[in-house]
Amino acid sequence: MFLQVILTGALIGSVYSLVAVGLTLVWGLMDIINFAHGDMMMISMYTVFWLYTLLKFDPFVSLPISAGITALLGVLIYKFVIKRVVNAPGLMALLATFGLSLFIRNFAQFLWSPNYRFVGESILSGKRIFLADLIIGLPQLAAALGSIVMTFLIALFIKKTKTGKAIQATAQGRDIAELMGVNTEKIYAITFALSGICVGVAGTLLSGIFPVYPEAGAMYGLLAFVIVALGGFGNIWGAFYAGILIGLTEALGGFYLGTQFKYALAFLIYLLVLQFRPKGLFGW
Amino acid sequence: MKKLLVVLTILLSLTVLAQEVIKIGAIFPLTGPAAATGVKIKYAVEVAQEIINGEHPEIELLLGKSAGLPNLKGAKVQFVFADHQANPELAMAEAERLIRNEGVVALIGCYHSSATKPASQVAEKYGIPFIAGSSSSAALTERGLQWFFRIAPHDGMETVFFFEYLKYLNQKYNANIKRVAVVYIDNEYGVHAAQMVKEKIKDYQADGFTIVADVKYPASATNVDIEVQKVKGAKPDAIFHASYIGDMTMFVKKYKEFNVLPKVVLSYCGGYQDPQFVINLGKDADYFAGPNATTSALFKKMPILAKINEMYKAKSGVDIDGPTLEDFASAIVIAEAINLAGSTEPQKILNVLKTGTFMAPYFVSGRIKFGPDGQNIYSASVMTQILNGVYEAVWPEQYQTKEPVPQFPEWNKR
Amino acid sequence: MAMKNRLLYVISVVALVLPFIFRNVNFQHIMIMLLIFAGLGESWNIITGFAGQTSFGHAAFFGIGAYTSTILFYKFGISPWVGMLLGALFAAVVSAIVSYPCFRLKGHYFAVATLAVAEIIKQLFVSWDYVEGATGISIPVKPDSFWMMQFHRSKIPYFLIAYVLFIVSVVIAVLIERNKMGYYLKAIRESHEAAEALGINTTRYKLYAMIVSSAVTAMFGTLYAQYILYIDPFMVFGLDISMKIVLLTVLGGLGTVYGPIIGSAILIPLSEYTRAFLGGTGKGIDLMIYGALIVIVACFEPRGVFGLFQRSKKRGAQYAKTTA
Repeated sequence: MFLQVILTGALIGSVYSLVAVGLTLVWGLMDIINFAHGDMMMISMYTVFWLYTLLKFDPFVSLPISAGITALLGVLIYKFVIKRVVNAPGLMALLATFGLSLFIRNFAQFLWSPNYRFVGESILSGKRIFLADLIIGLPQLAAALGSIVMTFLIALFIKKTKTGKAIQATAQGRDIAELMGVNTEKIYAITFALSGICVGVAGTLLSGIFPVYPEAGAMYGLLAFVIVALGGFGNIWGAFYAGILIGLTEALGGFYLGTQFKYALAFLIYLLVLQFRPKGLFGW
Repeated sequence: MKKLLVVLTILLSLTVLAQEVIKIGAIFPLTGPAAATGVKIKYAVEVAQEIINGEHPEIELLLGKSAGLPNLKGAKVQFVFADHQANPELAMAEAERLIRNEGVVALIGCYHSSATKPASQVAEKYGIPFIAGSSSSAALTERGLQWFFRIAPHDGMETVFFFEYLKYLNQKYNANIKRVAVVYIDNEYGVHAAQMVKEKIKDYQADGFTIVADVKYPASATNVDIEVQKVKGAKPDAIFHASYIGDMTMFVKKYKEFNVLPKVVLSYCGGYQDPQFVINLGKDADYFAGPNATTSALFKKMPILAKINEMYKAKSGVDIDGPTLEDFASAIVIAEAINLAGSTEPQKILNVLKTGTFMAPYFVSGRIKFGPDGQNIYSASVMTQILNGVYEAVWPEQYQTKEPVPQFPEWNKR
Repeated sequence: MAMKNRLLYVISVVALVLPFIFRNVNFQHIMIMLLIFAGLGESWNIITGFAGQTSFGHAAFFGIGAYTSTILFYKFGISPWVGMLLGALFAAVVSAIVSYPCFRLKGHYFAVATLAVAEIIKQLFVSWDYVEGATGISIPVKPDSFWMMQFHRSKIPYFLIAYVLFIVSVVIAVLIERNKMGYYLKAIRESHEAAEALGINTTRYKLYAMIVSSAVTAMFGTLYAQYILYIDPFMVFGLDISMKIVLLTVLGGLGTVYGPIIGSAILIPLSEYTRAFLGGTGKGIDLMIYGALIVIVACFEPRGVFGLFQRSKKRGAQYAKTTA
């Protein structure tokens, strides 16, 4: 049983990671808390749902489409909202993203009704692997593996490509980056697109195991804040490991102390770890 | 100045009389996490309004034939909807606004027991009747309120119904059900239901029932993997669920993934009763069970219900479900009470509600009568079980549309 | 300075008279909520606006205030007025305890920590049987009485209590802003290191700010509980309450005494009226409009609505400077 619990925690945690990676990119680069992050994920889940319902697309076929749509949404959010508030004093940017989140959520209800929906069938649904007495659901495993691969690709992109290096430079200091000829506006837009791709993929992978409804992104968004801070702002691998850690805490704590405490324990872990690492696990 | 005011008031009341519209407040969660249910209830209340106001001789209800309320010269009824977003503060504010600003003569609502509590206190304060259709917390009718009535059976009654059903399965089908797991959401609805199980099981210990697991999960869960593993570890024969549609669906998916095979799963009024449950889960929804004020299998037997459902389905696209029908009933009952009272005077409506028996041909119990505490004494529920994607009535035997199946088959052999 | 004070007096007098002129209950309700949230904004502003320590967890203190008085009244019949003071004291103690570890964290790390603390406290109350856990508490209805803080015949007494608490919160904010403590807090906000270099004991002053802020917040919690007559952990400890306080203050203008008043005067009536007119449609249109308007204000008036007033006053050279 213990191993099963650990495994479950790790699988859940890796999906959290991917949602958090998208958030940490923006947060680390622009120092902006995007409250609409979870809602972008919800849009991706609806994309998958409608492609499945109307065109019988398997969620895995829809993956590039839904990721593309959330990437576009990210760019639009940047162009029309974030761009105007990125240099505003105080918490104005937060106010803007909060209003945005409220708008997206209720717009989704307006368009698609508040019903809870599910993507019924995919090539993986209902399939399982048995390892000794461990049971692993394939949709869950695919979600976890997909998240890990995606995180790896994003990290690689940031580290190796020219654009990635420009993002790093902009995060270190906008003015200097601009002096060195980086078009920071463009970099910001690209970062929002990357962030959108992350939640787009996460939403697609989750659509097989989590209900699709206007508030679907809310709790994931909230956990992502804690995970990003736990990992250290702007740190991709920090967010990844922090996600796994939160997943494990939730599973072990939930199993041995009572499942009603699982999120409270995740928050507690954050407070405890930050006592020793005040800038997160991998913060600098 | 005073004279002018008097004249104005008379003029105003005259225009009101001319329009002959009686306003009734309807407070439901129309946005926020429970919006899905709230919006369906809104459709049902709109159907009730159509039946009352239009001429529907085919629907044999007291107010079906005539247009409007016959005892009030054919006055029309208008339900004024308000949204409480699952927030008790807003329920309270909206109740007050509807009473004082909109001039409603009665209130119905609020689905969430936590919202019904403060809203009905406002009604009590102003001396306005409040009928709750589907709020199920037993605490509501234990407050000694004068103006509060409830149609749905409360969770205490539901719990007794559960144990009686299990006894029936044990006797008739030799099901040998003993070990009970309680799985519930960590809010007013779930926690109160679980308390009722712990209280009522004392009366059934002689029948061999014991609680083997008590699994409470957070109100906004991102997954239920660990919860399901706890249930599995306890090896229950029966699982009692107090869950909403989203979490309930996740549970079923995980029961399948982790191969949990109880004999019965019984759900309190909530997610299971929502037809979306079958739409979302298909074959996997089979064999789940729960009390329900109605089921589509009963439409053949109950022509009036079938006609109501026809009107409802045209709006919502799905068949009417138990909680929705209970809120529909609250709308019909309040209109009938106003009609019988022949007046919109609160005290007269109250007397009718306290003494009258209301015909409810859309419920299997056939009627509604409120006890001294405001609780409907005729439980409208039948035990339903999903068999081949249909909510079949399985108990009590006189309403049976199919026999119950007291065993979950292997998940891959469905 | 004198000019500033005069405006404050005008606002307070207008706020006081309005409900006596417009005797509509719904309007009075909106005024009560407006004053409660303006006052909450004032107290939140002390720690976040002045001292620059973003708190996303003020619902924790609001809830402690609500629960302290309610439990004392519900279980022991003690007057909510006593409960209000004890609640403030209790919230101050809790804030001192949790602040100590949190103040080691800077910037957003602190903000997320306050959010975490509030969520943990909420879960503790949800699971705590003695305070009825998730079931919540219906406050027993008693005849109208000042001592029991229950008024059913009219909303005016609730309004007056909200008004007094609001004035208290404004006076505290003004006093802090114009005294040594206010300058210290603003120094800490501008630069932690510089403030320490000047010999300011930053931890101590942040702690003072937090304690005052949480105590005032808790007092509003008591009033809220007595006004609604029902509380459960989700409504008083919820992230919604924390965020509402943050939103309206930022919208009005962070770090100014006027900010919370302006923000509350815009957001509370906006949400109440859009809900009243459009909430019944069941399509979420009211919240869509609400969200969109917040975005628009944020995008076009990045200094808050107060910034708009200031700007219209100081056109010219300064205008160029502030927007540069």
